[in-house]
Amino acid sequence: MKHNKGAFLSNISPFYPIAVLLLIVLFALSLQLGTYFLSPVEIWQVFQDPSNPHYFTLIEYRLPRAILAVLIGGALALSGALIQSIVRNPLASPDILGINNAAGLVAVLCLIFFPGIAFYWIPILAFVAGIVAFVVLWVVCGFHFRPIKMAIIGVALSALWAAISHYVMLANPLDINSAMLWLTGSLWGRSWSYVNVVLPWLLLLLPCAFFFCRDLDTLSLGEQKSASLGVPINNIQIIVLLIAVALATTAVAICGPIAFLGLVAPHLARHLIGGRHRHLLPASLLLGAILLLISDILARIIAPPIEIPAGVLTAILGAPYFFYLLMRTK
Amino acid sequence: MPKFSHWLIPTVALFGLLWVSLFVYYPIDISATDTLSAFFGTDDELLHITILDLRLPRSLVAIVMGANLAVAGALLQTLTRNPLASPSLLSVNAGASLGMVTATAIAPAFFSGYSIAFIASLGGGLSWLLVMLISGGWQASQNNHRIILAGIAVSLFCAAVTKLVIIIAEDQAINILNWLAGGISHIRWIDWWVILPFFVLNMIFCGIFANQLNLLNLSDDAAQSLGINLLKVRWITNIVALLIIGASVSVAGPVAFIGLLIPHLARYMIGYDLRNVLPMSMLLGGCLMLIADIIARAVTFPNEIPAGAILALIGAPIFVLFARRRR
Repeated sequence: MKHNKGAFLSNISPFYPIAVLLLIVLFALSLQLGTYFLSPVEIWQVFQDPSNPHYFTLIEYRLPRAILAVLIGGALALSGALIQSIVRNPLASPDILGINNAAGLVAVLCLIFFPGIAFYWIPILAFVAGIVAFVVLWVVCGFHFRPIKMAIIGVALSALWAAISHYVMLANPLDINSAMLWLTGSLWGRSWSYVNVVLPWLLLLLPCAFFFCRDLDTLSLGEQKSASLGVPINNIQIIVLLIAVALATTAVAICGPIAFLGLVAPHLARHLIGGRHRHLLPASLLLGAILLLISDILARIIAPPIEIPAGVLTAILGAPYFFYLLMRTK
Repeated sequence: MPKFSHWLIPTVALFGLLWVSLFVYYPIDISATDTLSAFFGTDDELLHITILDLRLPRSLVAIVMGANLAVAGALLQTLTRNPLASPSLLSVNAGASLGMVTATAIAPAFFSGYSIAFIASLGGGLSWLLVMLISGGWQASQNNHRIILAGIAVSLFCAAVTKLVIIIAEDQAINILNWLAGGISHIRWIDWWVILPFFVLNMIFCGIFANQLNLLNLSDDAAQSLGINLLKVRWITNIVALLIIGASVSVAGPVAFIGLLIPHLARYMIGYDLRNVLPMSMLLGGCLMLIADIIARAVTFPNEIPAGAILALIGAPIFVLFARRRR
């Protein structure tokens, strides 16, 4: 596990202002762009005046969507960072290990077989599915995690969950939008009710994740060393994994399995500011939010009246980075 | 030479399944004996058309593409010396669908029939090349798992681009899911004539090269010292594998896991000699595709779902099993 010595920026101070600024600019852009363009002045006017004709589009449609992009992107990236630290495997991430697809499967099952279910149950059920998927992976791997082997079994299990949800969807046709949504991940048509579901979870989980920064730093020295330094490894690993799975599955329950984000953002963060978790975790969070905002904006403006699922774009942007990682991994 | 019964059982099974597949789980109810009589002349116009023009091409294409994909899997496993190699896991399927979708989006009138099969092969070839570059697969047999991971990543990438192209270019998004799952419900005689030449190519290739491919399973040095032109054999094998996969994908969409599963089954039944494994793979691949197609009609009868979804459901647990068994 690399520490600051491998970092691209030897001094981390410029990272946060730049990242936050970028996030704000992208957030504003996300409000402006869409079927029709709104200038910053118009947006200000709309906020002042609820009778404005654009009020509905902006407040009920674009604003929750932009907020969700930030929340979901951050949650996925943070989850990826935690999982990579725990299993000490650069190829690990919630999507490669099959957690995303398992959560997606449960969401699809709920939507098809229990359409009346209250919406706030879906993140909880998805969380249970994510935990089960991880336990299955752990058992199939033979109770330990060697990088390439774990990745390949994770991918195989991921294919299994995807095949089942694909089958369920084909056998019980949904309308095509929700089907594509659950195959690729998208922020299309997400309203405030989704924000209300996801926000409490994230407010609960974020402090928990940051609480373990020091222990995660110690853990990256290796299990034996950290045990001798007095860190209760097993407890920490299990709790942090639960947090990571909860973050990823909440995200998936809201907008479907978004590919590669949980893998790429933490790597980028590690590359930019090094491996100290006090900086790595917030940096992953910011980068995840930025990447998903970019994907969502691109999804809207590539072919205007048509919406492209954001998951398609994260895959197109993220896969080449995975190629690069794979070429480098010994 | 293995026992006669080893060949007899799959052959009988194949013909039995072909017959069964012509009458079970179709909305129009035709009895088993009536099905046979359609072949030997009948006055019933409806019977004649239903069996010979609608159902027979579908079943025949199922057999031929199952055989093609199974042989392609066996060839890729030989080339990479990797037991997990198969058209779907090494991204050839995904690349072929991407090539095909892009071509039809750009010039739908120009590409049809044979040319679309070649475009699909080209797409499959490009993605295959990318996988080789990423995994450093030139030095075969090293890093077995990496080539699979690279293949899956390239597959995901190609699948994402495919969806992008379809969403931008096509109007009827409703068909995407069905086509991407890979099914043969729309097959008519014209598709049969597209895929047949590739099947013949497949047979000829297997007849001529099976012996040399056996030597490819040894180490490179051993094969070379036995007088094999490694480069030539590898090139020809690659091209044939890509062509037969491309033809299958262009006719029925990316059907997964036949190429992974069947060669293993064939080896288990009949040993490692490719002169036996390749024909056995053809027989078993045809059987599996027919079975998958029948199940695909059965599960939501009288509707149907793509056979590829059934195969993915059967194949994914087996992929997990294989992945686990490797150290």
